Amino acid sequence: MASPLPQVLLDGLFAGGTYALMAAGMALILGVVKVINLSHGAFFTLGAYVAYALAERGVGTPIAAAPLAAVIAFAFGVFLGKSFVNPARSHPFALPVGTLACALLFEQAAQMVWGPHPLSIEAGAPWIGPGGLVIRRWGVIAFLSSAALLGGLKWVLSARPGLPLRLIAEDEEIAGSLGMDVEAIRYLTFGGACAMAAAAGALLSPSGAVTPTMGRAPLLLSLVVVIVAGMDSVAAIFLLSIGLGIFGNACAWLLSPQWSYVALLAAVCLLLSARPAGIVVTAGRRD
Amino acid sequence: MNTLLTADRITKSFGATQVLSGITLSVAPGEPVGLFGPNGSGKTTLANILSGLLLPDAGTVRFDGKEITRLPLDARYRLGIARTFQIPHPYPALSVREAVRVALAVDAGKRKEGGGRREDEEGPAEGLLARTGLFNQRFVPCAKLSQGCLRRLEFARTLACRPKLLILDEVFSALSAADEGDLMALLRAVNRDEGTAFLLVSHNPPLLKALCRRILVLEEGRIVRERTV
Amino acid sequence: MRNAASFREGWLAAGIGLLLLFPLSSPDAFFLDVFTTGFLLAAFAASWDVVGGVSGQITLGHALPFGAAAYACALLTTLAGWPLPLAVAAAVLLAAAVGAGIGALSAPLAGPFVALLTLALGEIAHEAAVGHTFFSGPGGYAWGGEGGIPVALPWRDASPFSSYYAALAFLCLASFGMLRFSRSGAGLILRAVAGSPITAQASGVPIARFKRLAFTVGSAFAGAAGAGFVLHVGRATATDLSLELSFQAATFAAVGGRGTIVGPVVAALVLHVLFQGLSLPPSARVLLYALTLLVTLRFFPGGVVGTARDLASRLGGKEAARPPRRRGRNNPGEGTP
Repeated sequence: MASPLPQVLLDGLFAGGTYALMAAGMALILGVVKVINLSHGAFFTLGAYVAYALAERGVGTPIAAAPLAAVIAFAFGVFLGKSFVNPARSHPFALPVGTLACALLFEQAAQMVWGPHPLSIEAGAPWIGPGGLVIRRWGVIAFLSSAALLGGLKWVLSARPGLPLRLIAEDEEIAGSLGMDVEAIRYLTFGGACAMAAAAGALLSPSGAVTPTMGRAPLLLSLVVVIVAGMDSVAAIFLLSIGLGIFGNACAWLLSPQWSYVALLAAVCLLLSARPAGIVVTAGRRD
Repeated sequence: MNTLLTADRITKSFGATQVLSGITLSVAPGEPVGLFGPNGSGKTTLANILSGLLLPDAGTVRFDGKEITRLPLDARYRLGIARTFQIPHPYPALSVREAVRVALAVDAGKRKEGGGRREDEEGPAEGLLARTGLFNQRFVPCAKLSQGCLRRLEFARTLACRPKLLILDEVFSALSAADEGDLMALLRAVNRDEGTAFLLVSHNPPLLKALCRRILVLEEGRIVRERTV
Repeated sequence: MRNAASFREGWLAAGIGLLLLFPLSSPDAFFLDVFTTGFLLAAFAASWDVVGGVSGQITLGHALPFGAAAYACALLTTLAGWPLPLAVAAAVLLAAAVGAGIGALSAPLAGPFVALLTLALGEIAHEAAVGHTFFSGPGGYAWGGEGGIPVALPWRDASPFSSYYAALAFLCLASFGMLRFSRSGAGLILRAVAGSPITAQASGVPIARFKRLAFTVGSAFAGAAGAGFVLHVGRATATDLSLELSFQAATFAAVGGRGTIVGPVVAALVLHVLFQGLSLPPSARVLLYALTLLVTLRFFPGGVVGTARDLASRLGGKEAARPPRRRGRNNPGEGTP
């Protein structure tokens, strides 16, 4: 029997690397749309349930589920961004409470459709590495897909297509006066970020239990990553997500999954109390 | 004590831009001082530092002999330094009279939790509203005021604490002639009758010459000239 | 000119009258129970409004003081054997202290981050309650977790009628107290802080101190509602600390009209009695609350009270310059408006 530590590290690496996709989405939302999206976790859950629904119909690979989940999430995200997030951006009440409402709405709907009990997806036989290390196939796929997508994102952001996003993040007025359709870019970015969260959810779905509230912990993880690593560096987001993924996995293995959730909650509280400079001031002050 | 406010070698940068370099100035009790400078000279930043909205990178601010460099906006108000905003942020849900009552409630530690001696506040509120010409609009929601009335409200708010020093950031800009005339008269009266000193930040030379006894000229973060009117 | 205030008070009196008479129509014990919990939740909604409506501090963790008081009552009476009145008093004080702590942590933060912090704090408490078990003294039973902790009540079985009237009396007293607070000098300052923190600060208001005050007062009333709730139900469960409950409080306030105290009370009563009275399962109720909130935000941003005021002013002409009813000295002033 292999020593548990490398296993924990490897599984944490896979999970964290995939969560990075979701954290990058949160960074985009926070940087470009300038809101705290409390429904981000619900999109992660959506991705997982899409993967489950596909698996029920015999299409078992997450790599097929992820694009479909991304498309569905993009559609929902654009709709949400256009109809709710954009108009309510600067309202201190409507935005957090409204996005939370969307998250709860989705959680309850998922519970009504699929039930509250954990569902699992057939993972397929893993590879066995040196010393009995279990290398889960879907883990490798998830990690590599995430790394590839994040690499693509980094390239897009530093090249011409990404210029509008960076400009809006820096100074909205200038972007608007240059003739950019700031509103459209905002809700498209929102949709894209939701798609990233759903893709992460689909990729990680074989990892364990698919439940309606599974997105809460990844939501907190994304927030922690963005608060600490900032919104400027995709690489920093990737690395910190891996770190948190490993830490969370170790926590769950040593203590219990509940403890890793509590650790994330405590991390959020500590970070907000310490108020690092990485927190952006969100749009507007009116109500 | 012959100086009310002293700023000693105030320096401030935002990122790579040095906005203020070693500003030293003083205001005597009851003295009307002007601060003149083109856009980008750092006038508003200096006003923000002197009123407690910003912390300087280096230098000290002293008021009535006490060091107040790190004291926040509200503490300075309670000491007697009140400031107006060039772009006021009115309370969306309060009336004009209520806005003045908020400033009065804090004056002289009348912060009673629950209830409170409302009778004591009614007279002074009415008086302030009358002085600033807002009496007839005292029940109007702040959010519905015109720009001129918002500036009057800024005056009413700052006078509530019977300040020793007023820091006025472009308080006369973009006003109608009537509003400007009324508020200039009010400022002169406050300075003359109550001995309130003020530091008026403006880019309007005739205005400064009409109101101030001494004008400091700010250019690219430094005081380059001082004129006595 | 129609006096809007006495119009409102007329409706309130009528509503309270109806509620007083309702049990005399011999309704099912089930409905009496629904109304009883409704009264307690309405008080909880009003306490959210003190923090999130009057003071503008959007909290998504208001279940924390509510549930803390509930658990304190349960633990103190069952494990420590305290007499009930003492336990209730201690529970309310604990809730106030919890509120002061939350206020201290959130005072430096801006809007959405307050929501995030309070959400996280509430969830920590919820996880602690779900995960932790307590052992009773003599019996050796393990309590806690999802099952919750019972309260040692001095009465055997409370009659539904006395519970109903006790809860109604509590709601009226608590709402009255919160209304007085929101109209006091401190309440005015809190509304100023909510409306424009920078102007309030420039008027000498110590912002952090008043934010703490808002949380302390709001949490104290939430704790009182929580204690009342647990006395009625007989058990403190982890649901009393849940995010869904915190969300419900925010929904009641949004639907009723934030900052009005009365609006959230009415909304809470109507929505709770409706959803629970139809015997909808809990998950359907949460879904409906979420939908109600989204619809309200989109179409009725001012809530019931706000929309009613808009309608009234549009029907009755300009409502803007409405003098208060208090008699004061008339000071003729000069000056052009």
